[in-house]
Amino acid sequence: MINDTNIKIDGVSKKYCLSLRQTMAYGIRDVLKNAAGLPSASQMLRKGEFWALDNVYFEVKKGETIGIIGANGSGKTTLLKLLNGIFMPDKGRIEIEGRVGALIELGAGFHPLLTGRENIYVNGAIYGMSKKEIDKQFDAIVNFAEIGDFIDAPVKHYSSGMYVRLGFAVAVHCEPDILLIDEVLAVGDENFQNKCFNKIGELRKKGVTTIFVSHNMHHISAITEHVVLLAKGTSRYFNNTPEAIREYSKTFNQKESTDIEKICSGDKEISFFDVEISKRKLSPGDSFPVIMNYTALEDLPDVEVFASIWKQGETRLYYRASNKAYGRKIDLQKGTHKLKIEINDIPVSGSFARIVIDIYTKNTEKKIFWWRIPVEFDTTPYSTGDNFLKTSFETIP
Amino acid sequence: MERTKLKTVYEPDKFIKMGFFTSWKAMASNLWSSRELIWRLFLRDFNAKYRQSLLGVSWAILNPLITVAIFIFLRKSGIFRIEATALPYPLFALIGISLYGIFATGLSGCANSISGAGSMVVKINFPKISLVIASMGQSIVDFLVRFLVIIALLIIYGIMPKFSIIFLLFAIIPIILFTLAIGLMIALLAGVFRDILHLVPFLTTLFLFLVPALYPAPQSGGLAALNRWNPLSHLIIGSRRIIIGANPFNSDGFILAIILSLLIFLISWRVFFLSETKIAERV
Repeated sequence: MINDTNIKIDGVSKKYCLSLRQTMAYGIRDVLKNAAGLPSASQMLRKGEFWALDNVYFEVKKGETIGIIGANGSGKTTLLKLLNGIFMPDKGRIEIEGRVGALIELGAGFHPLLTGRENIYVNGAIYGMSKKEIDKQFDAIVNFAEIGDFIDAPVKHYSSGMYVRLGFAVAVHCEPDILLIDEVLAVGDENFQNKCFNKIGELRKKGVTTIFVSHNMHHISAITEHVVLLAKGTSRYFNNTPEAIREYSKTFNQKESTDIEKICSGDKEISFFDVEISKRKLSPGDSFPVIMNYTALEDLPDVEVFASIWKQGETRLYYRASNKAYGRKIDLQKGTHKLKIEINDIPVSGSFARIVIDIYTKNTEKKIFWWRIPVEFDTTPYSTGDNFLKTSFETIP
Repeated sequence: MERTKLKTVYEPDKFIKMGFFTSWKAMASNLWSSRELIWRLFLRDFNAKYRQSLLGVSWAILNPLITVAIFIFLRKSGIFRIEATALPYPLFALIGISLYGIFATGLSGCANSISGAGSMVVKINFPKISLVIASMGQSIVDFLVRFLVIIALLIIYGIMPKFSIIFLLFAIIPIILFTLAIGLMIALLAGVFRDILHLVPFLTTLFLFLVPALYPAPQSGGLAALNRWNPLSHLIIGSRRIIIGANPFNSDGFILAIILSLLIFLISWRVFFLSETKIAERV
């Protein structure tokens, strides 16, 4: 039977309790029950408990790289700790084949008074390496950590960079079959991060299965093939990373209203009875034309029309400019007419935004119209960041 | 290494589902596979302890000598009335305090072992029992050093030690097991409730007066009754008999205390093993 599944997470749930006192009471009761040989009936929720992870399913094949993403408190760290065996699931079953290496906290267990050399042996043993294995990897560890002569100095004299480099070096050199990585790469400088990613890439090439937790969508899209998206303890599996990232960014914006809002405060001089837009979902680089139908009771010369794009609700102004910025004078004539405004080549990527149009009378004396249109900008595969710019690639012989 | 075959399963009540004997086997193999880690952790603590001290390992000798000196002073000045002992009192007290030290030093080591290990307990998966066992190492080293001092002192006092004194090294095993039994529970509790750390010094001081370490075992009275029910008292009395070349097994108490120590160690080990992961949730 060929079975290349490396990690199988089968309906795994984990419960937590917010009250510390209750947690203790439940914990003691469970321990006593277990000590007496009784099951702890962990699949039932007791008073004050809730599911931090609820029925999580997924499988990871040998050599695959899986990203785990989700907002804070969605259960990422809990899932990683379950995979690492720090605590047991309350429901379901986790099967893991091979040795697990965890890059969860680098340099945990280092003793400040001991030298780097001594700490490598202690830390290696904590990761389950025998003395022989450490001896074999010792030079590779020291080389990777780039600590040179400091190897025989107490680690309390190390710079924080050297400290994490040494921690990372020991953890990746325990020859894991499965690598669990939690946000640890956020520490250290750019150079170190690149080095870590290269090392992780090297391990992946060797067939090491990797589970990678990160808030950094750039890292996620750079190294993962599939993604598990956690939201409030439930999981969704995505074969396609860009799709998962798109869903993830949506979770931040879900609560926002998608209604178009319009305020026309022009009293009796002007009324806008209809506004036409062609679409609400845009790809980066699209143009956004707006046609406004209005009826003016008098001539409104030299009005100022502002177009703006706000990202993340209304907290971040992305762009705002009026017709004056483009040297265009606009006179609205008496009667029923149309006004067309078009924002061209909007490079916004992967987020929700609001396009706002507001119109002022001459010399911005009075606001006569304000209109807000929520739109959604799509993510382009193989790209991250706020913008998607036109970039050309040419090989020059 | 049998790397490729290694398969791990995590599920609720894993060790209950395994069955009684299989789970004991799992405990034993868990302990056996941590022997290297225990040794490393012990070396770490040992090296770190003496690295920033002028006197280094000499403290292992100085520490009991100072305690004994205090008690000699207390006895001479009449603050404490201690009956005449079979051995010269300084020797008697040193033997007692050395044996008791295994328990006292061991227990405070255990108490700090998990709570003092910091984030590695909740971030890295390794057998946590190794932290507790490694923390006992210090008290064993201390005892071995003191053992040599005791032999030297015996010779100085003109009491030629018999070869059977070597059995003392085995007699401390039940003391170690007894200490570990209490130490494992205290380590677990201290991992969750830091209050325990404040209580341990009182506990070890109280026990110092409850066991016949610095005074001969009383034959009657409340203290004698307490001693009769305290396994540690029997273990210390028995061990002392070995030093003077007497047969420790002529009292039932010693044998019962050995059995009892082993028994409570097994129970304590099991409780620790079953609750290890539950503690990690709550530290």
